[in-house]
Amino acid sequence: MKAHQQHRFYSRLAALALAATSLAMGSAVSAADAPELRVLTHSSFAVPKPLLAQFEKDNSVKLRISKGGDAGEMLNKLILTRANPIADVVYGIDNALATKALAANVLDASAVVIAPGGISLPVPLVPVDYGYVTVNFDKDWFAKNAVALPKSIEELAQPAYAKLLVVQNPATSSPGNAFLLATIGAMGEEKAFDWWARMRSGGMKVAKGWSEAYYTDFSRNGGKYPLVVSYATSPAAELFYAKDKPSVPPTGSLTLAGGVYRQVEGVALVKGGGQRATAEKFIEFLRSPAVQQQMQTEMWMYPAVAGTARAEVMKFAPEPTAFDAPSDADVAAKGADWVARWTKVVLK
Amino acid sequence: MRSRSPALYLLALFPLAFLLVVMVAPAARLVAEGWTPAGGVDTGAGAHAGLFTVWQDPYLRWRMAWSFLQAAATCVAALAIGLPVAWVLARFEFAGRAWVLRFLMLPFVVPTLVAALGVLALLGPHGLLVQSGGADLQGTPWLLLYGNLFFNLCLVVRAGTDALGQVSASRLAAARTLGATPWRAFWRIEWPTVAPWMMSALCLVFLYCFAGFGLAMVLGGAGYATAEVEIYTLVAHELQLRQAAVLSLWMLLLTSLVALAYAAIERRLAAPGRSDGVARHRPGTVGQWAAVVGALLALVCFCAAPLMAIAWRAMFSGAFGWAFMAGVMTDEDTLLALWNTARFTALSLVLATALGLAHALAAQRSLALRALVFLPFVVSPVMVAFGLLLLYPRWSGSFWLLVCAYALLAYPFVAKAVASSLDSMPQNYLFAARTLGASPWRAFRRVTLPLLMPSLRRGMAFAAATAVGEFAVSLFLSRPEWVTVTTLIYRYLGRPGAANLDAALLLACVLLVFTMLVFAVIEWPGQKERHA
Repeated sequence: MKAHQQHRFYSRLAALALAATSLAMGSAVSAADAPELRVLTHSSFAVPKPLLAQFEKDNSVKLRISKGGDAGEMLNKLILTRANPIADVVYGIDNALATKALAANVLDASAVVIAPGGISLPVPLVPVDYGYVTVNFDKDWFAKNAVALPKSIEELAQPAYAKLLVVQNPATSSPGNAFLLATIGAMGEEKAFDWWARMRSGGMKVAKGWSEAYYTDFSRNGGKYPLVVSYATSPAAELFYAKDKPSVPPTGSLTLAGGVYRQVEGVALVKGGGQRATAEKFIEFLRSPAVQQQMQTEMWMYPAVAGTARAEVMKFAPEPTAFDAPSDADVAAKGADWVARWTKVVLK
Repeated sequence: MRSRSPALYLLALFPLAFLLVVMVAPAARLVAEGWTPAGGVDTGAGAHAGLFTVWQDPYLRWRMAWSFLQAAATCVAALAIGLPVAWVLARFEFAGRAWVLRFLMLPFVVPTLVAALGVLALLGPHGLLVQSGGADLQGTPWLLLYGNLFFNLCLVVRAGTDALGQVSASRLAAARTLGATPWRAFWRIEWPTVAPWMMSALCLVFLYCFAGFGLAMVLGGAGYATAEVEIYTLVAHELQLRQAAVLSLWMLLLTSLVALAYAAIERRLAAPGRSDGVARHRPGTVGQWAAVVGALLALVCFCAAPLMAIAWRAMFSGAFGWAFMAGVMTDEDTLLALWNTARFTALSLVLATALGLAHALAAQRSLALRALVFLPFVVSPVMVAFGLLLLYPRWSGSFWLLVCAYALLAYPFVAKAVASSLDSMPQNYLFAARTLGASPWRAFRRVTLPLLMPSLRRGMAFAAATAVGEFAVSLFLSRPEWVTVTTLIYRYLGRPGAANLDAALLLACVLLVFTMLVFAVIEWPGQKERHA
């Protein structure tokens, strides 16, 4: 056997393979040509493409948008990479996550863009939109089963409403965490966890995230739970995306005391990021009339800038008048512990 | 005789370097971050987790035990159902057989949430089973087991079919002539040939289910979360890196034992195959036809039914009509997603094939290298995804990093299939070619490669399915301009409303059709060869 030939053959294969790797690695580090603004967002970020293109043109910049998953996951990615920031500007940090972001020192407080009045967020976060996490119900189910709608969060824990509610795990979902905060804000920590314990024994279902809860557990979509934690705007979206254009939405949103959380989403400069001037322009852009107007039926949130005209379909998404939340200081001090305690009370 | 050429180890450098750069280093970096005493990001209760705290917490103990249990149960069920089906597919020739083998792999590409929708349409509270008087299985372990089989049965059936095709026809005939019953002939002749292949497939099934990610949660709810889901929660949402690192190290230890055991068994069982494979024949007797029908029914029941439910919902209950469908199909984002899916699949397939071939050729006699093939399935994808972010922040969300991540999860399929095939390759052809003066390169091209082709194709088909299905897609940063069909589906499912659900289901069907095309391309020359 010609060993040297065999040797040559394998060498050739190895050389080919190494060449392929270096080629792949080589093109990975090829530098960008146009100045880039790196934007980190949660996965629900949606601004119409023409508006983004206009922004790029007006500022002669290339937008590099990265979606980092659920808002909580996105913030953690930002925290993890704070030594070498992966973005210049971040959108999607809400009031529930704000204290965590501030504590981790990942936002740039030096160049604050001050938002005038109205809806607010802890500085340096600039509010872009807001919404309400509420319990949604399946109208058909309640009509068919002749069950009265619950009037309070306390009623939900009673046997009549056993096995009717699906919530999201606050450890893996922003609306889930928001709902937990609402209950603690309304009832106080001890009573709230007592309520959660009763909900658990009543057969409440826990889903990983909003999509799982809404599309596999909610009775309107093939599940068996007619109550789901969602948003006040969801019924309007249901109407907007309905097949036969009904006159009223097939679902409704409940404004239960202790079951409503107001979520304000903001944008901020990332500490250590570049492109300062353009990044500030981007913050202004998100608060511009066009974005504030069109974002409503893209992200299904209310515009944070006062005086923005509401989309027609939003009349089916009335804003709750009351909502609950613990103080920012409490969230900062105990937020993580609450989630751990929730896991213990509801899952373990 | 294969020489112990040092160049063989040089060849191993390629997959090893790849593993080191794309997986081991990032995961290690994340573990190190968890152990940084000061300046670490860890603030939670798990900041001081020791190596054994996992076993002190009954909740985590149950998570580990449950992960193990459901994986083991799935393996048993997959073998019990998969082997008879594989036997029928390997022994009988019938119209559409090749297509059945391709259809089999479709569950692989279906996004978890969509698969769950399909499964629930059958076994959920409003599903077919309930409508026909059965029980609602949502929230029971049965649903999870069914879901696991839906995703994994194809692994066992494909491997079994290929292996049974390599059983020596003359030995089987001799046994039968000497009076062995078909049953006895199966155990004495067929099973020993098939066993290593089955072990290999079951090992994969076990690893997939043990480290299973989305399906358990979606189908079973939080109560059936596996340890991998715990790791995901700890890393992605709680940033308790230390506790996550401890948990993933234990997972790594347990799964490595499985992988190592498998590699040892496979090597011991491996014997050069014979070149007289059993020919398939058309079923003749009623019993044989019944076997074919039974096997197909089993496949319909476990693999096809949820897919058909998805297609049914997309096509008929959609009620939007053609205008809606055309609207979704010609949407700018859909076209972009299709182009991206095609491009990502092609690139990662090329990379995965190169890596897989190199790894398999280099691993022929090294037990360690053999076990390393499983590494991408063993190391937690969450740890890798976040580790990549931490180690290469500049390349986060870069095109090639994403392709590498896809290839990482896809290439073990190629390596495994090729390695099994190399083990059972008849040596005399290669010797003959070399004796007649063929250079090693020529002998490889003209003898080894053609003999490897069937398994290479099978491995590539699975690799392609992995790339199209994007197992860990949600873990990586995604860029809107790189939207793929899967990410688009998840985007639709992120909004309320019937039109979004229908668009998602329609896109799932598009994904299935696209995958069939990919399979057809990969296996196309195979058919010509068979007819030649």
